[in-house]
Amino acid sequence: MDDNSFGAGIRKDILFYSIIIIFGLFSFRLFKMQILDNKIYQDQSEDNSIKAVTLRPPRGVLYDRNFQYLVSNKPAFTIDIVPSEFDTSKSEVLEKLISANSGYLKGVFAKFRGYPAYLPQKLAQNVGIETISRIEENKSFFKGISYNVELQRDYSFGVNGSHMFGYTREIDAKQLALRRGEYSMGDYIGNSGIEKTYEYLLRGQKGYEFYIVDSKQHMKGRYENGQNDVVPSKGYDLVLSIDREAQYVAEKQFLDKSGAVIAIEPETGEILAFVSSPEFNLDQLSSLASGKVWQKLTTDKDKPLFNRATMSSNPPGSTFKMITAIAALEEGVITPEFTINCSGGYQYGNRFFKCTHVHGTVNVISAIEKSCNTFFYQLILKIGLDKWAGYAEKFGFGKKTGVDIGEETRGILPDSKYFDKTYGKGKWTNGYLISLAIGQGNIITTPIQLAQYAALLANNGNSVQPHFLKGYIDENNDFIPATFKTVHTDISQKTLDIVRQGMFLVVQGAGTATHIRNTKYTIAGKTGTVQNPHGKDHALFVAFAPFDNPKIAVAVIVENAGFGSTHAAPIAKEVINAYLQKLEGTYESKVAEAKPEEVTDEN
Amino acid sequence: MKVKLQKPSRKKLPMKINYNLQDKFDLGIFLPLLGLLTFGLIAIYSSTIDHPTAVNNFEKQLFWAGASYIVFFIIYFLPPESIRFSAIPLYIISQVFLVIVLIMGRVTKGAKSWLDLGPVGFQPSEFAKIGLILFLAYWLSNKRHDINDFKELLMAIGIGFIPLILILLEPDMGTAIVYGIITLAMIFWSGISLFGLFAVLSPGLAVFSTLFGIPVFVITMIIILAVLIFFKREIFTSATIFVVNLGAGFLFELAVKYLKPHQQKRIESFVNPLADPLGSGYNAIQAKVAIGSGGFWGKGLFQGNQTQLNFIPEQWTDFIFCVIGEELGFIGSIVVLILFLILFVRLIRLTKFTKDRFSSLLIVGILALLFSHFFINIGMNLGITPVIGLPLPFLSYGGSSLLVNMSLIALSLNIYRNRKQHS
Repeated sequence: MDDNSFGAGIRKDILFYSIIIIFGLFSFRLFKMQILDNKIYQDQSEDNSIKAVTLRPPRGVLYDRNFQYLVSNKPAFTIDIVPSEFDTSKSEVLEKLISANSGYLKGVFAKFRGYPAYLPQKLAQNVGIETISRIEENKSFFKGISYNVELQRDYSFGVNGSHMFGYTREIDAKQLALRRGEYSMGDYIGNSGIEKTYEYLLRGQKGYEFYIVDSKQHMKGRYENGQNDVVPSKGYDLVLSIDREAQYVAEKQFLDKSGAVIAIEPETGEILAFVSSPEFNLDQLSSLASGKVWQKLTTDKDKPLFNRATMSSNPPGSTFKMITAIAALEEGVITPEFTINCSGGYQYGNRFFKCTHVHGTVNVISAIEKSCNTFFYQLILKIGLDKWAGYAEKFGFGKKTGVDIGEETRGILPDSKYFDKTYGKGKWTNGYLISLAIGQGNIITTPIQLAQYAALLANNGNSVQPHFLKGYIDENNDFIPATFKTVHTDISQKTLDIVRQGMFLVVQGAGTATHIRNTKYTIAGKTGTVQNPHGKDHALFVAFAPFDNPKIAVAVIVENAGFGSTHAAPIAKEVINAYLQKLEGTYESKVAEAKPEEVTDEN
Repeated sequence: MKVKLQKPSRKKLPMKINYNLQDKFDLGIFLPLLGLLTFGLIAIYSSTIDHPTAVNNFEKQLFWAGASYIVFFIIYFLPPESIRFSAIPLYIISQVFLVIVLIMGRVTKGAKSWLDLGPVGFQPSEFAKIGLILFLAYWLSNKRHDINDFKELLMAIGIGFIPLILILLEPDMGTAIVYGIITLAMIFWSGISLFGLFAVLSPGLAVFSTLFGIPVFVITMIIILAVLIFFKREIFTSATIFVVNLGAGFLFELAVKYLKPHQQKRIESFVNPLADPLGSGYNAIQAKVAIGSGGFWGKGLFQGNQTQLNFIPEQWTDFIFCVIGEELGFIGSIVVLILFLILFVRLIRLTKFTKDRFSSLLIVGILALLFSHFFINIGMNLGITPVIGLPLPFLSYGGSSLLVNMSLIALSLNIYRNRKQHS
């Protein structure tokens, strides 16, 4: 065959042998580099290297509605460990030095198993200066250990707010796997509350500096004069709707109680104060001992980690009577003039439903004022369960309010479907419904729902879903306002006026909370007492003020306290007065603002 | 299916149709491909696991791999005639895109090589490879074009040079070299004479020699002159070739001056990588250190300090091989080489079974493309060839390149499916 022809055999052979020769050349080269010269390259690999130093940006701070600090940052020492460089026979000495339990290091290593052992991991945060100086003195002994000054959260502004602010922690392996690319080991991430919801605004962007280092990790200079470096950018500062003074007063009220209080600006849905008690100490959670602290918190029988304000589930009690009144008025079941005679209870079939007193002749307004059960018992049957539930839903019951912290429950708003599901179709009777009229029985609400309910009653049935964020400050120092969904109940003004008149009289007339009446601000509200099978009753109170032009709506629950009027109403009064005085400019600040410390001395 | 012509000398038995998979689908090509893709994904994952900006590349590449498989099977099942028909339009469209990218392309790594169409960007120079291979195969398989005719040879070279020049203008030297090699290999396969081959090759030699200074260039030119005298062709042809060689050398020197600084540096640092260890020679040195320090078994997946401490910038593209070298060692590297070897040998073998010249030329074009990438990329990882930005087929990160390479393999399996005889 002619060699100079198409696809000649010799040409195929040339291609084949070219490939074989290159393959041979590469194989030999690999053999020489990886096997014969392996030692040389290994030394080079260890000796001369470039190290990327991560520059973590300051996390955005939290301001209150008047740009007062709520949460800020402070510098503190952290200790890092590079597992591949650390001599584990020194574990015990190191653990003693950082006053950790024995075996602590093992736990640290196990946390990021499967990740490169060349990467530094966080060993301890908020470390004292003595510990740091010991490490510095014994640098050669503790190979693989280094320390940094990092910004940590500073909570020294007089308010706790543990459940709303939430805590930040070093990202764990599980979160890291989910958010690869956004985070790396040693980064902090918001784990609950506002820190979690607005993580994307608060975190900022990391920067990097590249250094040439030798085998002892000594910096020899900038790599390419720093032209590859990336400057970190600070996280956005959040402006919250919280009023620090009102928050402070609210927290003070709960020092020895458990429960929750939420105050909302009715027109905007902005949360002015938010307390879930007992609280926990955010500062302690960020220190080295956080493992121990955490264990204590999770096993505490008072459940301090539980956000009562958005998750505690209880019947609303008498505070729910306005819903029944509104449903009855709107459906035309009663007129404002309609009266009944309360003789101390209501007989339905062979069951007798008790009232608190013998109220005599009551209409809808005085029934709210005096919290007459008898009046409401018979209404729900006339309204019908599903219609009644429909009105409650308009006020946000039975669903999440959408408050901008993740931890929230829906509660239960029963309708016929619910009863069918719970008891079976046809297996429940109207008798099951009667106590619903006064907010007892199968209905479950959360304090934040009650607060939204109070806000809607205050502002003629219109508000915005409850929220903490007013806006944030972007990189150009511009304030970017946040927007949230509006809520409309479409209840007639006439009906709302009647119900509100009742609430007015609860405090201002001859009602159940006349003891919180004060000359300065006209508060309107409604008390509630919820039967608690596990102990003393829970005390409830929903309120708003001033009556003519409401600026604040409040819901309070005090667990295991007793009557709502005695235990919950005074708390609402304190918070309302503090906030309204603040608005008028007559309030004297009681928040002792602590200065952020330069370095914390204690672990 | 088309009835196939059988040579009269062959057995006149009815064609034996074998229904097993290997008969329709060469696993000798497909399985190495699968292996290489897997190695690539692992290496990309490892090199970006803790990288500040590139950490989503693994997911992106996984997506592209999936998309490539869809394209792969579409091309595999195309009727063979449609491939030939698409040669001219594809070639023309490719050239149009290569011009568009020069006008409105996006500059990455100093070359205007990216075109953004809405949210996705792609490299026209990648896709134009398909057009070139198809059209050259179409042109050269036409028996009217005798490759040993000087004019016909110039035409064939011209077909390759139009995209090559357009790509040099981006400027993307690595890809331009690949275009040159494809053109050369396909002309070679068409049966060009030794002299013709020399005429085509010698300008490249002249250009290469200029890298090493004027004395080397002069010596090279003397050798070229001697060879021309040896062939004893007519004086006009010989003189033309010599002048073209001389011109190529000078033009290249001139072109280097117009190259972007980073490209000039790369050429310099190939000649002496240690001259600027933290500059452009940096990649070459770090890649070698990474591979060399891997040893026999490697440092273990995700445990290579060179890789994990991000020593080598953009390691997931052109330096993906040193991730394998460092973390999977000699064993892993050799397995990758062998997978490539199997792929190449199966492609060469396929040239003997193609039903026509067109298909045979296609295979050679595809082989030339993959092999030149393989040679230049691994060569630069091992410090044998200069640092020229070329991805390693099936392993390097990059959607355009993966899609094109998978399409070409699909094309060769399509040819296998429609080969002249079932063995």
